[in-house]
Amino acid sequence: MPMDRYADMEDKLRILEDLNMMYIRQIALSLQDSNIQKKIDHEIRMRDGACKLLAACSQREQALEASKSLLTCNTRIMAYMSELQRMKEAQVMQRVALRSSDAGPTDDRLPCKGKVAISDLRIPLMWKDTEYFKNKGELHRCAVFCLLQVGAEIHDTDMVIVDRTLTDICFDNTIVFSEASPGFELRVELYSCCSEEDYSTGSTPRKLASKLSSSLGRSAGKKLRVAMDPGACSPISNGGGATLLLPLPTVVGPKYHLLAHTTLSLSHVQDSFRTHDLSISGNEECSHWVPLYGNVCCRLAAQPHCMTQQMMSGCLKVKQFGDPQSWTNVYGVLKGTNLFCYHRQEDVEANIEPAFTISINKKTRIRASEKDLHNKAQSICISNHYGGEEVTHTLSADSREDTHRWMEAFWQQFYDMSQWKQCCDDLMKIELPSPRKPTLVTSKQGSLYHEMVIDTSDDISTVTDILARRMQELELRSQLGTSPPWMSLFQDSPGCPRTHNRLPHSPLRCPRPGLLSSEASLTSDSDSPCSTSLCSRHSGWAEPLSLSSPSSHFRPRTLSLDAKLSTLRGRGCGGVLQCSCQPPSSSSLAPIPAQRVPQATLSCSNSTSSNSSSEGSHSPELSDGTPFSHPSSARQSLRNLRAKLDPRNWLQSQV
Amino acid sequence: MSFIPGQPVTAVVQRIEIRKLRQGEHLILGFSIGGGIDQDPGQNPFSEDKSDKGIYVTRVTPEGPAEVAGLMMGDKVMQVNGWDMTMVTHDQARKRLTKKNEDVVRLLVASLLCNASPFVQTEFAI
Repeated sequence: MPMDRYADMEDKLRILEDLNMMYIRQIALSLQDSNIQKKIDHEIRMRDGACKLLAACSQREQALEASKSLLTCNTRIMAYMSELQRMKEAQVMQRVALRSSDAGPTDDRLPCKGKVAISDLRIPLMWKDTEYFKNKGELHRCAVFCLLQVGAEIHDTDMVIVDRTLTDICFDNTIVFSEASPGFELRVELYSCCSEEDYSTGSTPRKLASKLSSSLGRSAGKKLRVAMDPGACSPISNGGGATLLLPLPTVVGPKYHLLAHTTLSLSHVQDSFRTHDLSISGNEECSHWVPLYGNVCCRLAAQPHCMTQQMMSGCLKVKQFGDPQSWTNVYGVLKGTNLFCYHRQEDVEANIEPAFTISINKKTRIRASEKDLHNKAQSICISNHYGGEEVTHTLSADSREDTHRWMEAFWQQFYDMSQWKQCCDDLMKIELPSPRKPTLVTSKQGSLYHEMVIDTSDDISTVTDILARRMQELELRSQLGTSPPWMSLFQDSPGCPRTHNRLPHSPLRCPRPGLLSSEASLTSDSDSPCSTSLCSRHSGWAEPLSLSSPSSHFRPRTLSLDAKLSTLRGRGCGGVLQCSCQPPSSSSLAPIPAQRVPQATLSCSNSTSSNSSSEGSHSPELSDGTPFSHPSSARQSLRNLRAKLDPRNWLQSQV
Repeated sequence: MSFIPGQPVTAVVQRIEIRKLRQGEHLILGFSIGGGIDQDPGQNPFSEDKSDKGIYVTRVTPEGPAEVAGLMMGDKVMQVNGWDMTMVTHDQARKRLTKKNEDVVRLLVASLLCNASPFVQTEFAI
């Protein structure tokens, strides 16, 4: 029975739709405006295409995108139709006014239009802690997008998938509305749709559906029940409220619901980021719910045409200061808050600097002086305050009509500035992002929680490489005569006094066994027999060298950094204990600069990064040999890791 | 920036817009930052309050995009493109400045001017 009613309804809706279209076409014809008619036809074609795509596609992502286009098309169609109706009404009113004898208010000055751009939309989210800790199954994901509307111009942003790993919904698009009046109202609407809902459940018979929902878990059942029942928090049709103007056919597929909206106007325009409140519709029980913090942060900029376009231009004569009789011919261009006076008209296109500039702003006073005896036309006086001084320029046009036109232009400029208010103080920048390849939709959006991942190149093995290299450097240094005290532990026999002439015997290629063992534990590239021999010697120490597998020739990637460093530390500790047995012959030791010695191994401190301290306090500071050099990523990742390991450094990063 | 104790200082908050410069496949701004909530604030040479964990400009590359835009060494960065920078880790701050899909960054910075210095900055308001 219900199915028959649906079919019946659909037929009726289709008939109504056809009637509506005929009505709209009539209106358009009578207005003799084919522009809107063309736009409506275009949107209807787009809508049909989106419906077909929605019926045909199988992938969830495609369906979401198609549903978004459908909603946008529907909203546009409705907006165009309302616009058409409004125009028709205005025409009728005008005819009525002409017919009646009283003339309406004459000559209403209209402010100029302008460009309004909204960019960097960001909506913070407020997830409850239970969201993070309930790990039942998969992430609850929603697809969201924004619809922005000024008058009849509607734009949509890209679709973003939101789940609990995101802290904010960010829309990267910059949307520009080209013809907006200063009284514009920019309506921002956020639509969302649950991304897991199986949209075929709409056709499941109720009895089965209730059985299913009762047998499923609580949250899944809740979702299913809400999906079945369209009345609770979802409007019947896709467009967010069925209207009689154009009833929309019901489509099977993911449905977007209005989640939040706000309206921005001229008072919200600023050349920087501002936060605005959102009105949220819907509650937690809806399937399309996303926990919003309640604000939207964006940059709303406006460029009125009076600031960007030449409002008036023509030849003028300017009276010279000091000489009341001589006049200079200039070509004047009124644009923005300035009247640029060029020597010749060609200079404007040639981008040559103007001869001088007179500022025209809120504080400027302009008046037309009385007819001069010397001149045929009236002259215009422009007064400004420049730093406490009042400066007056006197201009004159060629004829009375020109003077009148210039005065008109000035009045219009003043009116525009009074209407556009803060937008006329300075030109706000609106950038259109360069067309890029569409970014691939990744399964996980970038979020702050995922940004602290250490690069794959920041491997443990790279750190051990650093340590091995430090060992080699130390060995080199010890060859030169300065040897840290703990080097003694690597001597062949403890009782033997530290003699430096032993060291030159061991070339770098085959280092002393002591160093070899440490290297073996780190890189395992060295010869194994040496290390085994030393293993036995050092077996009495705190940390056995079992961590290093002498026969292994691969890097011990599975060993933790802590374990490795503790072996070094253990060796160091043992060495210090041993050192204390001998009388320290400090005279043979050259003074060692504290920075170069890895203090950790000597002092057994808990600093895990023996090398980062040697970097000093400016560890990852990159040298600027060439001003804009960018280091290789490998080097940078090494430094980053070293810097991250040592909390005593004050990190600096070049951006 | 050195401050003479006892001399008055002025703090100005200004908006600085820096257009990134393309260098190969990198977009650079031409300055270095220091600080962050995970850093030791006592080592910050530029902060007046040594418990300030904010992000400071530690170096400005000469004739780089940042210097051209008016950024100075010692400025504290409060916001980047609307994102707060007063309570972020160092890495988060770096990441917010080096987003690959942004060509322009708009910073809100606070600078301290020493009134005793001969180069006094004043703003002309019209």
